[in-house]
Amino acid sequence: MRMLRNLSRRRLRTALTILGITIGIWALVVFGSMANRINDMVGKGSVYFQSGAISVWGGGGDTPKMNPLDLALEDRIKAIPDVDVVVPGVSMYLSDDNASMSMGLPPMITAQPAGLTTGRDTLILRAAAGRLLAASDEGSNVVVLGCDLARQYSKQVGDTITLRGEEFTVVGVLAQTQTQPDNSAMIPFAAGQRLYLTTLPSLVKANLTASNVVTGFQVYPKPGTSPDTITAQIKALSPELGTMTGADFDKLAGSYAAMLNSVLVGIGLISLAVGGLSVVNTMAMSIAERTREIGIKRAIGAGRIRIVREIVAESALIGCIGGTIGLALGALLVTLANEAGRSSGTILFELTAGTAISSVIFSTVLGAIAGFVPALHAARLDPVAALRHE
Amino acid sequence: MTAIANPIGHPARVMADATVATAPLLEGRNLRKTYRLGRRNTVEALRGVDVRIEPGEVVAIMGPSGSGKSTLMHILGLLHAPDRADGAAGGSDGLRPELSFGGRDVVALSDGERTKIRAREMGFVFQDFNLVPTLTALENVLLACDYADRGGRAARSAALEALEMVGLSERAGHRPAELSGGEQQRVAIARALVNRPALVLADEPTGNLDSARTGEVLGLLQRLNREHGQTFVLVTHDQEVGEACDRVIRMRDGLVRDEER
Repeated sequence: MRMLRNLSRRRLRTALTILGITIGIWALVVFGSMANRINDMVGKGSVYFQSGAISVWGGGGDTPKMNPLDLALEDRIKAIPDVDVVVPGVSMYLSDDNASMSMGLPPMITAQPAGLTTGRDTLILRAAAGRLLAASDEGSNVVVLGCDLARQYSKQVGDTITLRGEEFTVVGVLAQTQTQPDNSAMIPFAAGQRLYLTTLPSLVKANLTASNVVTGFQVYPKPGTSPDTITAQIKALSPELGTMTGADFDKLAGSYAAMLNSVLVGIGLISLAVGGLSVVNTMAMSIAERTREIGIKRAIGAGRIRIVREIVAESALIGCIGGTIGLALGALLVTLANEAGRSSGTILFELTAGTAISSVIFSTVLGAIAGFVPALHAARLDPVAALRHE
Repeated sequence: MTAIANPIGHPARVMADATVATAPLLEGRNLRKTYRLGRRNTVEALRGVDVRIEPGEVVAIMGPSGSGKSTLMHILGLLHAPDRADGAAGGSDGLRPELSFGGRDVVALSDGERTKIRAREMGFVFQDFNLVPTLTALENVLLACDYADRGGRAARSAALEALEMVGLSERAGHRPAELSGGEQQRVAIARALVNRPALVLADEPTGNLDSARTGEVLGLLQRLNREHGQTFVLVTHDQEVGEACDRVIRMRDGLVRDEER
């Protein structure tokens, strides 16, 4: 209470200082939540994309592409020693509007023969409503929607949805995975091949037949064998082929994520440093104003440690108040932005309890540290000189 | 020198028994203090002062500005330490300074030890009251309890009692800004008395008060001395204050010029 009264002596100055910390913690909470979300996508994505399998695509390069490949490659890959299963697949953007870069994961249509990867997936997909696709769905226009897509288009099991010009009946909605499947529409393999063909330019299309076209393969090595020797042999089949193993994905995604994280957390920390300096300034000014009062307290018997403690506690309180308000505002923004983004499928933030608690602790400690130097200065004052101070 | 017989309610730690009643409460010898203002500019504020304060006395230290009376009070109140004899700060005649309080040698104490004695065994009253503006009258008094490591209900009732002694129990919840100058000084006196200190040092306690309030504060100090045997050392310019004291120590140019009863 006394500390609050001390702080309220100079209301505007205290408010501005608290505002400085508030902005710093707000930035840390918001950017920290963004970093959490990115880490989560990368972590879960690593599990999803690479179930111990090698991704193969056409067009080479280090990142997967959606160029057309001949289904006949399947048999040639299968012939490589140590290859266990090859799963052909087709992927395309949900619509051409989504082809441009977007924050988060783009909405996709994916198709592969059902049941081939059973028992090998490390990210197990579950239906929150309805069911997953089965081999018996081949030939019919049915779709299983990721949870974000279902929410975005307000579709439930039994509804119909138009994908690339064809009507599909929703038979299932996936439980949340935090990664790509949330934003995917899964359709039977043949339907996928047919839709994919419509996305290609007519010149390319003319040379292809739907039943022979794929955009890639998931190659599962036999248990206990290294993916690297297989990768080399796949690339030997055609210089056109690009491959990615789980380790490659982690390296690629990890380096992007690490860079983004450091930028985001860096921005937060810079704003906090500015906030921290404003606490130092406030406490130094407040102590200069209270020199006389510190002199009285020293004269009537307050020890040096006592004076330091009072001032440090006061500035820690500034930090704590600022941190709590910053956290509240940050949490509000994160929640509102996620709510707004939910309809369009872009969930950008994830505020964890750890981020929340550590940001308040951090701001409190920062406040205490900022108060320490002015406090030491105050404690060293000569009581007689301080009493004479005007 | 005056030696008042053991007064009622005097702190037991100083007045251990009646036989030591003639032992001084505070005794200083060869007290010197030189302030260094610049490289070549030093001021000899005290140039070798002997002083003896008996328990239960009310002593005024008087003298013109710059005579060293405040410096003497700061040394007697353990706010500053006297210069050591070997100090190169000029004018040393090689005599060691001596300062004892309640029979203890306090010349060479550390800052922490002097702070502790100030908190527990001394009370301070200043010219411009020097209350903490954000605290109520009661909280200002409690501050002194707090520094003397007294807390809880006992401290609270002691603080209320001290306020009652100065006639301000009705205004315990008021902040300094809501009190008159005389009232503020009475709160400061209550704060100085709450721990029942052996010695209360007052620096120009009536300096900022009109004559009616001066009379009020002086009357209060005299009553506290009479009823509780409280020892007071007052630094003052005011002849009226000097006349109300048992003894006046007159200073000039850093030396005691004379003492009168």
